Amino acid sequence: MLPAMAKFRFSFIFLLFIVIKCESVNVDTISSDIRFKNVDRTIDISSQLVKISSKLTLENTGGTPVKNFLIAVESAAKNNVAFVGAKDSNNKDLRLVETTVSGYDYVRFWRVELKDALNAGATSLVTVESVFTKALLPFPTAITQQEDQLVKYIGNLYTYTPYYVTSQKTNVILNTKSVETFTKVKPYTQQDGGFQYGPYPAVKPFSEKELVIHYKNNSPFLTVTRIERLIEVSHWGNIAVEEVVEIEHSGAKLKGPFSRYDYQQDHHSGPASVRSYKTLLPASASDVYYRDTNGNISTSNMKVKKDSVELDLRPRYPLFGGWRTHYTLGYNVPSYEYLYQSGNDYLLKMRVVDHIFDDMQVDEVVTKIILPEGSTSVKVNLPYPVTRLPDSLHYTYLDTKGRPVISFTKKNIVENHIQDFQLRYTFPRLLMLQEPLLVVGFLYALFLCVIIYVRLDFSIHKAEHHHKD
Amino acid sequence: MTVEVQAKTRLPQLSSDKQLTFIKLAVLSMAAILSFGTRLFSVLRFESVIHEFDPYFNYRTTRYLTEEGFYNFHNWFDDRAWYPLGRIIGGTIYPGLMVTSATLYNMMQFLNITIDIRNVCVFLAPFFSSLTTIVTYLLTKELKDEGAGLVAAAMIAIVPGYISRSVAGSYDNEGIAIFCMLLTYYFWIKAVNTGTILWATMTALAYFYMVSSWGGYVFLINLIPLHVLALMLLGRFSARVYVAYSTLYCVGTILSMQISFVGFQPVQSSEHMLALGVFGLCQLYAFTQYLREHLSPANFELLFKALLTTLLATLGTALVALTLTGKISPWTGRFYSLLDPSYAKNHIPIIASVSEHQPTSWSSFYFDLQVLVFLFPAGLYFCFSKLTDANIFIILYGVLSIYFAGVMVRLMLVLAPVMCIVSGVAASSLLSLHVKDIEPKVEKHEKKQKKHENNLVFRSEVGALFVCVLGCLLISYVFHCTWVTSEAYSSPSIVLSARAHDGARIIFDDFREAYTWLKMNTPEDSKVMSWWDYGYQITAMANRTVIVDNNTWNNTHISRVGQAMASTEDKAYEIMRELDVDYVLVIFGGLVGYSSDDINKFLWMVRIGGSTERGAHIREADYYTPSGEFRVDADGSHTLLNCLMYKMSYYKFGLVYTEGGRPPGFDRVRGAEIGNKDFNLDVLEEAYTTEHWLVRIYKVKPLPNRGV
Repeated sequence: MLPAMAKFRFSFIFLLFIVIKCESVNVDTISSDIRFKNVDRTIDISSQLVKISSKLTLENTGGTPVKNFLIAVESAAKNNVAFVGAKDSNNKDLRLVETTVSGYDYVRFWRVELKDALNAGATSLVTVESVFTKALLPFPTAITQQEDQLVKYIGNLYTYTPYYVTSQKTNVILNTKSVETFTKVKPYTQQDGGFQYGPYPAVKPFSEKELVIHYKNNSPFLTVTRIERLIEVSHWGNIAVEEVVEIEHSGAKLKGPFSRYDYQQDHHSGPASVRSYKTLLPASASDVYYRDTNGNISTSNMKVKKDSVELDLRPRYPLFGGWRTHYTLGYNVPSYEYLYQSGNDYLLKMRVVDHIFDDMQVDEVVTKIILPEGSTSVKVNLPYPVTRLPDSLHYTYLDTKGRPVISFTKKNIVENHIQDFQLRYTFPRLLMLQEPLLVVGFLYALFLCVIIYVRLDFSIHKAEHHHKD
Repeated sequence: MTVEVQAKTRLPQLSSDKQLTFIKLAVLSMAAILSFGTRLFSVLRFESVIHEFDPYFNYRTTRYLTEEGFYNFHNWFDDRAWYPLGRIIGGTIYPGLMVTSATLYNMMQFLNITIDIRNVCVFLAPFFSSLTTIVTYLLTKELKDEGAGLVAAAMIAIVPGYISRSVAGSYDNEGIAIFCMLLTYYFWIKAVNTGTILWATMTALAYFYMVSSWGGYVFLINLIPLHVLALMLLGRFSARVYVAYSTLYCVGTILSMQISFVGFQPVQSSEHMLALGVFGLCQLYAFTQYLREHLSPANFELLFKALLTTLLATLGTALVALTLTGKISPWTGRFYSLLDPSYAKNHIPIIASVSEHQPTSWSSFYFDLQVLVFLFPAGLYFCFSKLTDANIFIILYGVLSIYFAGVMVRLMLVLAPVMCIVSGVAASSLLSLHVKDIEPKVEKHEKKQKKHENNLVFRSEVGALFVCVLGCLLISYVFHCTWVTSEAYSSPSIVLSARAHDGARIIFDDFREAYTWLKMNTPEDSKVMSWWDYGYQITAMANRTVIVDNNTWNNTHISRVGQAMASTEDKAYEIMRELDVDYVLVIFGGLVGYSSDDINKFLWMVRIGGSTERGAHIREADYYTPSGEFRVDADGSHTLLNCLMYKMSYYKFGLVYTEGGRPPGFDRVRGAEIGNKDFNLDVLEEAYTTEHWLVRIYKVKPLPNRGV
C-alpha cells in the first residue's frame, strides 16, 4: 500500500515538475539589428569529436543597444551537441542559457548574455566553442584488422546562425593527408592536413549547404557508455573516489578474424585499435586500484607528475571496433584539498566528472556523493544543468542510521564538462565521536559478558565427578 | 609442555592454574592465527582471487545463493552448463559450503560490514582452518591430554597436506569439510566416553554438516561403524557405545537424507551398508546380552543359534534380492578405485584423467607431512600402550586413512589431520618423558613414569640431547611447511607468474584476459566448447554457456567433445554444428612453455572420445608414431597433425620465433619444431588469442551460402 502511494505521489510531483519546466522555458525573438560582420570558423575533426570554434565579429546595425544574441545549432546536429560555450575578447566566459524561438522548433538556440551592451554601430568579438559527439560516422562501417578507419564528416559549409553574415571563412583540421572525397565549393584551398573554405560573402540567416569530408581517422574512437563516479567523504581526512567505467570502441567494427600473430609482428597492424589510453588523476591521488569483476588488471603503469597522476591504462585486450570493456578505477585523495569547513558547516568542492582519456565522449555519467553519517541540510550547486536523482542511504562499517547519498546524472559529456560542483552540508562535530564510542561500547559489553560468564555458575546441577582419563 | 614450564617462572603474580589457562589460551590462539596467516601467501603475492577450477563453480553458486535466496538456489536449473542438457544445481551439489559463506556474508551485511562476497569466499578456507586448529586441540585433548592437544593444534596449523586444499582463494568443499570431519570425531569421542544422548546428537548434527559439505562423508560413516565393530570384537562394547552409535545412526541418517544430492543413498547404496549393518548388529548384541541375563545358559544357546541362522539367511537373501532388483545401487566407480587403484585406469578414463585421482607417490608423503611421517609410528605406539576406546578410534582412523591416501593423492587431506593428532601425542609424550629428566623439580608432578627413575646414568644429558633433537626436527618441520606452502600451494593457477632473465616478475594473466574478452565481446547466448577443465571458469568468469564442465557427470557428452577435438576439421564441424557451438576455446602453452595445456591433455581427449560407441573410429594408436611416441613434430602421426586440436593450437604458430637459435614454430613445451606449419582453417576463424597465446578462441563459421 505504502510504496504504491509513494509511487503515485512521486509521479504526481514529476508531472507537476514537467508542467512547471515547460512553462518556464525561455522564448526569444531574433533581432534583425545584429549582423555578423565576420566569422572565422575552425572545425577540428582530427579526433573522434567535432570541435567547432568560431570567432564572431558582432555588429549592431540598429538604433538601440543589444544585450544578448543567439547561437543556433541546425536540426541535423542538434542531438549530437554536447557542449556550447562563449567567451568575449578578454577570454572571459559569457553566460549561456538554452532557449527557443517560436517558428524554429527544429533548431536549438542558446542565448549569450554579453558583459557590456553592444551600442548602436559598435562591433564586438565573441568566440563560440561547441563540441559535437558521434558526428563522425565510420564509412565503411566494418573494416578488417589491417585496414585504416575512414570516417565521414557531414556538416554545414556555412555558419548556422539566425543572423546575416557579411563574410565568413572555415578552416577544417584533419591532421591527415589521406582524404577520399570532400566538398568542393570555390573558393577553397587544400592545405597540409586540412582545408580552408571561403571567404564566402553575404550569407543569409539559417543558410545550409552540405559539407562532406571522407577521410582517414585512426584516432581512438572510444565511447564511455556509462561511468558511475562514487565520492565517499570521510571526516577522518580522506575522500575515496571510485569510478566504474564501461567503454566501447565506437569506430568501424572489426570484420573477420583477429590475428594475434599479425598484431604482434607488425606494430602498424590494427591501426584503428586502441591498446591503451591515459587517465589523469588529481596530483594527490594515492592507493590507486584498477580492476574488473574478475579481479585485478595487471597491465597498467602509474606516473606521478607535478600537477597530476598519469595512469597508463591498458585494458585486458586491445579494443577493436565494436569491442567493449569495463573496469573499476579507485583512489584516495586527502580531504583538506577538497573539503572546507567553518564550524559545523562544510563545503565539498570536487569535479562532477574527471578526465578519463583525451577527447573523451561519455554517454552517461552518474555521480554519487556519500556524506558522513549525520550530515544534514545538503545543498548542491552545479556548474551546468543535471538530472538530480532521489537521495538514498548507504550503510557501511559502524553505521547505525546510514549515510546520506546525493546523486545526479547527466548525458552526453565531454572534456569541457570537467568542472567543479559545490556541495554544502551541516555536520555536528560531536558526531565524530560516535564511531569510536560504538567500538568501545561493544568491547566493553563483550568483556562484561565474559566476566559475568566466568564468575557465575550457570549449571543446573553440580558436576559430580571430573572427567575420567 | 616446555612452554608451560618456562612461563611458570615468569608470571609469579598469577596462580598456577590461571597461568596454565593463560598459556593454553595463548598457544592455541597463536596456532589459530598462524593457520590463518600462513594461508595468505597467494593473497599477498597476487591478490584476493579465487583459485583453480572447482572453486570458481562454488563461487558462482554462492553468488547466486546470496543474490537469489535459498529456495531459488535449491531449485536452480542451470542452462549455462552442459548445453543442451543443462544441470540441476540444487540437486547435484553439496550445499554446505555455499550456505556457510552465504550465512557469514548475510550476518556481516546485517552488521553493516560491507565485505564483498568474493572476499568471504576467498578467506573462508583459512578461517575454517583456524577453527580446525581449535577442534584438533579439543579432539587430541580427549584422546590424550592438553599438552598433546596443543602440539597437535600447532602441527595442523601448518601441515602442507591440509594447506594444499585450504589456502586463501581455494574455495572448495574440502576447506570446510575437514573442520566438519574433526568436529564429528570430537563429538563422537565425547559421546563414546560419556554415553550421553546429548553428545551423540551433537555428533549427528556435526555429521549432517559434514554430509552437506563434502562427498567424503562416506569415509566418516564407514569409520565410525568400524570403530564400533572393533570395540565389539575387542569386548569393549558397552551401553555407552550403544547409546552413542544408535543415536548417531538414527538421527544422522535421517538428517543426511535431507540433502537432496544424498537422497536415499544412506539406505540404498552399498557404501553405506556397513553403517546399517553395524547398527543392526548393535541391536542384536544388546538384545543378546539382555537375553543372556534373563535366560539359563542352555536355553540361551539354543535360542541364539536358531536366531542367528534365520537372521543370516534372511539378510543374505534380502541383500541378494535387493542388489539384483537394483534397489541397492552397485558400488560406484570412485569407490572401486579406492579399493583397487587400478580399477579406474582400466575402466573409466574420465576418473583416471584427473591428476588428483592418481596414486600417491612416496615422496609426496614426505613432502606433505615431513616429520609427521616419522612421529606417526611413535604416536601409534603411545596409543597402543594405553588402549582406550578413543585411542582405538584414532588408531583405526590413522591406519585406514594411510591406506586411502596411498590410493588417491587427494585423500592426503584426510590423512593429514590424523597424522598431526597422532604425532602430537607422540611429540608431547616424548617431550614430557625427557623434559622432566632435565629438570628434577618437575619430576614430582608426573607419577606414572617413576619406575624409570633411578636406573639410568647421564639421564639429564640424554634427556637434553633428546629434547634438542626433537626441537630441531620440529623447527625443520616449521621451515619445511612454510617453504612448501609458499612454493607449491600458493599459486592461484588463474594468474601465472615467471621470472624474467633480469629477475623481474612477469605475470601471465591470459586466462582472465580471454574470459573477460568472451564476456564482453560475444553474444550473450553463445555456446563455448572447450575441454571440460575450463568449463567452470568459463561459466563463472565469462558468463557463457559451455558444453561440458568439471562436473563430469555425463561421459558421452564429454566424449563427444573429445571426438570433436580429435577429429579432422570437417568431421569436427559436424559435431560442433550438432552441439550448436559458436566458439571453441583451447589452452596452448607452446609459446611461453606452460606445460599443462590442451596438447598435453590431448591423449585423454582421444581416450575419452574413443570410449563410447559413437567415437569408436577414434583409436588412440592412430595418434602415436609407428614406434609408439606422441610427437608433434614432422615425425608425428598424420592423424594427430591434422586433427582439430592440433590445428587450433598451432594456427599461425609456424611463423613465430619462440627461442633464439631455433626454427620458427618451435614448441617450448614439447621441445620440438611443429610438423604441420602451413595450413588454413576452413570452418573456424581466429576470434581472439591472448597476449602470450595461452588461450586461443575460435569462432565457428556459419554454413557457407549455397552456390558460393
